[in-house]
Amino acid sequence: MPRLRRFALLGAAAVLGIAASVPRPPLPPYAGAYEPQSVDERGLWMQLDEAERTLRDSAFVVKDATLTGYVRAVLCRTVGVERCMGTRVYVIRDPEFNASMTPNGTLVVNTGLFMRVRDEAELAAVLGHEFAHFEQRHGLHRFQHSRSMTDVAAWMGVIAASGASYQIRSAAVDVSHSTIGSIFAFNRDEEREADMLGAKYMLAAGYDPKALPDIWTRAMDEADATSFGRKQKSHRYDRLSFFASHPTNLERATYLRGLVAGMGQGDTGHDALRTAIKPLRGAFIADQLKLNDFGGTEYLFGQLAGDAWDAELLRARGDLYRARGNPRDLVSAAGFYAQAIALDPADADAYRGLGLARLRGGDAQGAEALKRYLALRPDAPDRAMIQALLP
Amino acid sequence: MRHGLFAAALAACLLAGVPAGAQEKSGSKPGFTLPPGSAKILLIRPSITVGAQSTGGMFEPNADWTAQARDNLGAALAVAQQGLGNAVIVAEEPIGPAATTLAGYRALFSVLADSVIRYQFFPGNRLPTKKRKGAFKWTMGPGVAEIAKGTGCDYALFIFDEDQYGSTGRKLLQVFAAMAYVTVKSGEHRGYAGLVDLRSGDLVWLNADQQMGGDVRTADGAQKRVRQLLENFPGSTPTAAPAAR
Repeated sequence: MPRLRRFALLGAAAVLGIAASVPRPPLPPYAGAYEPQSVDERGLWMQLDEAERTLRDSAFVVKDATLTGYVRAVLCRTVGVERCMGTRVYVIRDPEFNASMTPNGTLVVNTGLFMRVRDEAELAAVLGHEFAHFEQRHGLHRFQHSRSMTDVAAWMGVIAASGASYQIRSAAVDVSHSTIGSIFAFNRDEEREADMLGAKYMLAAGYDPKALPDIWTRAMDEADATSFGRKQKSHRYDRLSFFASHPTNLERATYLRGLVAGMGQGDTGHDALRTAIKPLRGAFIADQLKLNDFGGTEYLFGQLAGDAWDAELLRARGDLYRARGNPRDLVSAAGFYAQAIALDPADADAYRGLGLARLRGGDAQGAEALKRYLALRPDAPDRAMIQALLP
Repeated sequence: MRHGLFAAALAACLLAGVPAGAQEKSGSKPGFTLPPGSAKILLIRPSITVGAQSTGGMFEPNADWTAQARDNLGAALAVAQQGLGNAVIVAEEPIGPAATTLAGYRALFSVLADSVIRYQFFPGNRLPTKKRKGAFKWTMGPGVAEIAKGTGCDYALFIFDEDQYGSTGRKLLQVFAAMAYVTVKSGEHRGYAGLVDLRSGDLVWLNADQQMGGDVRTADGAQKRVRQLLENFPGSTPTAAPAAR
């Protein structure tokens, strides 16, 4: 607050010579060709502009104009055309569930997000949240708050190491711990603020309100499935850890469910999202399988399938079970591949999986499936390896 | 057991501090020379970040200082070209797939430079394959030639520079911390310059300094910095360097 007041005074002094008018509030960061103002904001933008140059040319960016254009269209519908003009969208090949937006308007969406949002409304909820961080200058505030707190912590460290009395040194250590806690608490407060503003945008755009809490409910279910699959303890959602950067998923689901209680149905955009990601879904699934997360992946495939498993998902499920490779998994995998083939008899990869699963399980009939695979794909890159397995 | 581990960790910490002073600053491929006026060198967009260091030690990027440093270092490099005795061509920003290729090699070079600094310049930490005396065997692979396609360049020059100037608060903290017998470092000035043979992809020269002098925000300081960065540059005659002043 004192900082704001000082800015206001400076601004007033600047315009005094021209006209004795009230200084205007700073422009929003999305305003056309916005230039960052304070020393901190300019420094941050300089650093992020440089980082964006690297990001733009990175091999990890999925250079698919259709998908990027779709994300952009959803963002524009959510926050309005005027606001979305100040942003650039990058889809990054990363199977984790995440999206981020930097203070200079770079929106980064992980491919893993597309696997986890059920419909366009959920995508809009995430994009609205990220945009809120940008509009509210959260990155800048976090930087400034962290700097103040680490400054205090550094001084407290010196006092704690000094020859002061035990009481004073002990108090200094306590203060130092609180400043570190404050950095994370500040982050969490801004996440809550972004949740609220993002929700406002997404609801105003006519999207289905239920999407807001549902994402977090399923995120908890997936995390639990992952933990169960890895024989770990489930996460606790009823209390915050000292270093948590976000409120717990349970807290977010709870307050968002409270917010949308009593609201009617909105536009889910279910088919629009499915159509947009369809051409790339196979690649996203392949990346998910490489995470070596049996429980979480099994949960995710179930969510994607709903009550109708398609050939691509059945084959992916076969790959998941075959990779774990217990004798019973090989039987299950062969079953999934057979179902995939029943739905799509031209699926060469399903024949490959079926053949390998059967051979590994001691069933010589697998050779027939492998022969079918080679017939369906004459230019198979692993032809030599597969032929070595044939009698 | 726990006590033994603690003692081992303490010993490791103490030992780690010792060879740091003996750390080497530069290396070049054995037998590599660059006769003056013989080569065309492609200068890749230098990575430059300048800012302050807050009291608590956070980096505060400063746009003005960075812009000044970019200008000053660019001018100083142009002057130093005479000292190099070779033609230096500033790489243009590519578009399309070429941009992805260049970004990939820039990233690869930063990893390579970090590896050389960690595993070659620090003699106590050399990898088994880097232990032979006088050996300097690092490469990016011949594919790197692609970034200089059409320029006719023989070598690529990569430059990295990061400056954190200690703020007033940091300096005050340093003084008071010293009274409590705690060492606080104020400011950080790191940089490296490396030359890559575009035909073989081999790293032929790298100079890395973790404590450089010269204030890059001023023209004179930037010249001093560039002289330090290009110190021991193969082919630069000892008399040529002062001429760049």
